[in-house]
Amino acid sequence: MKELQKFAYPIFFVVMAILPHLLDDRWQAVAITFLIFAVVALSQDIILGKSGMFNMGQALFFGMGAYTTAILNNEYGWSIIATIPLAIIIPALFGILLAGPIVHLRGDYLLVVTIGFNIVFVQVLQNNLGGITGGPNGIFGLDSLRFLNFDLTSQISVYYFAFVVLLLTLWVMHNLAGSKPGRALHYLREDQLAAESIGINTRVYKIFAFGLGAGIAGLAGTVYATQYSAVSPEAFEFIQSVLFFSIVLVGGSSVPGVLIGVFVMFVLPEIFREFATWRYFIFGFAMIAAMILRPRGIWPATFGKIPKFLIKENNHGA
Amino acid sequence: MARNELILTDVTKRFGGLTAVDALSFKVEEGQIYGIIGPNGAGKTTVFNCITGIYKSEEGLVNWRGEEIRGMTPYQIVDRGIVRTFQTIRLFGQMSVAENIMSGRHIKSTQSWWHGIIPTPGKIKDELENWKKVEEQLDFFKLSEFAATPVGSLPYGIQRRVEIARAMAVEPTLLILDEPAAGLNDKETLELLETIFKIRDKGVTVLLIEHDMDMVMEVTDYLTVINFGKKIAEGTPEDIQKNPAVIEAYLGSEDDDDE
Repeated sequence: MKELQKFAYPIFFVVMAILPHLLDDRWQAVAITFLIFAVVALSQDIILGKSGMFNMGQALFFGMGAYTTAILNNEYGWSIIATIPLAIIIPALFGILLAGPIVHLRGDYLLVVTIGFNIVFVQVLQNNLGGITGGPNGIFGLDSLRFLNFDLTSQISVYYFAFVVLLLTLWVMHNLAGSKPGRALHYLREDQLAAESIGINTRVYKIFAFGLGAGIAGLAGTVYATQYSAVSPEAFEFIQSVLFFSIVLVGGSSVPGVLIGVFVMFVLPEIFREFATWRYFIFGFAMIAAMILRPRGIWPATFGKIPKFLIKENNHGA
Repeated sequence: MARNELILTDVTKRFGGLTAVDALSFKVEEGQIYGIIGPNGAGKTTVFNCITGIYKSEEGLVNWRGEEIRGMTPYQIVDRGIVRTFQTIRLFGQMSVAENIMSGRHIKSTQSWWHGIIPTPGKIKDELENWKKVEEQLDFFKLSEFAATPVGSLPYGIQRRVEIARAMAVEPTLLILDEPAAGLNDKETLELLETIFKIRDKGVTVLLIEHDMDMVMEVTDYLTVINFGKKIAEGTPEDIQKNPAVIEAYLGSEDDDDE
């Protein structure tokens, strides 16, 4: 597994870097969707996979980022790039505010509360709160991507924008895995009482996970709004949250697992369009089979790395 | 600064109508190995939970180094140098032995929340320093060969050692052990005794609950015996062995020895 990963990552990055030049318009769009949803699924993984909190409202933060970009661009004329900081910060702050009163809840209760948040969010969008969300139709006609003096209208530009966002997300997750806060999330997921008894303020780290996950999802929202030059409420329905939730569970809480999960959920259905009516039937069964046969996911989580100098000779199970 | 003393004064903990700990007072002095013994259901673990912040006692004072710690959260109490182990081992089962011990370095690490997002040279240095400390604990507890092994797959006796190693990684002033010999065979119990003496020699005060009377008599400097949440005796192991109240309470429950 480890050897495979060593080779697989560079190959994956190279393939992803040249991919748009090999694809036609339609498949470029599919590839962008893959990148965006991969980022959202990874952000969900921080909350659900790494910290073990049953968050069923990740589409809320994704949508909040998308709407932040759309509103700032459409109403206030900010360029897309200029909206990025707020599209990260606003969802992150909401993540922290929403998580504050609910993180002490046990898994199933937390799940129901986050579903509630997601539904309220979509209702707010549809009812055009403050006259800026555009109601059920959403907001359309956003500017195209523009950076310095380059006009990046083409779909390939959007692809590379999405690709950079994915690389950034992977970098953050790599940093998280080898840090005190990242390990704290694992500890509290494994045994909360033991984590508290060894000196970890679990509440703070749970809220941290929500804030970080929400911020990354918000950034993915900006890319999403750029791709379609539009945002509308139905893209951020609770059913989307269910998809992100199941991707992390089925894929397993690891980067390859999440990427496989996103591929299976969003790309395979495009490849097998002819069987469109069958696809959810087949995926439903695939999910059931995966959960029974591999309850920890297709590619299960490997926990944080330990430094090489600790691994002595004749080590057991290294 | 006040001495490293733990003083409990009239601590009372009730669960509904049941008084699990009843006006218990005792004093653990710096450098001691202090034992709390008593028959099953005497409230020993409840006392520990009251000290370490898992429960809050309804009445009484829990004073540590001159500071009142009753009502603090478990992590605040760890921050003041009191660390515990559990009677039923509570490790992070899917994680490696090294990572489990690293959890003890959490409060000593200088990293902030944002180091989880952006690395800095300071963070990298801090990581390395703490892993070095983990290596020390691995050596001290003879766990080096298991560093990368998921702890859940190890035998019970080794898991016990990992749990004590994790607590020692915090560099505590007071180490609280909840039945550390439970489930160990004779050889492992002997090793545990040596380990406890070595920990004391490092200047750590040890407070332990134990069921194994032979071990308690051998390892502790001072003892408190409780039954039904009340103190029935205290003294050195020699005193306790002669105390009629203890003999009555203890021998009476010899048959249901296993907790």
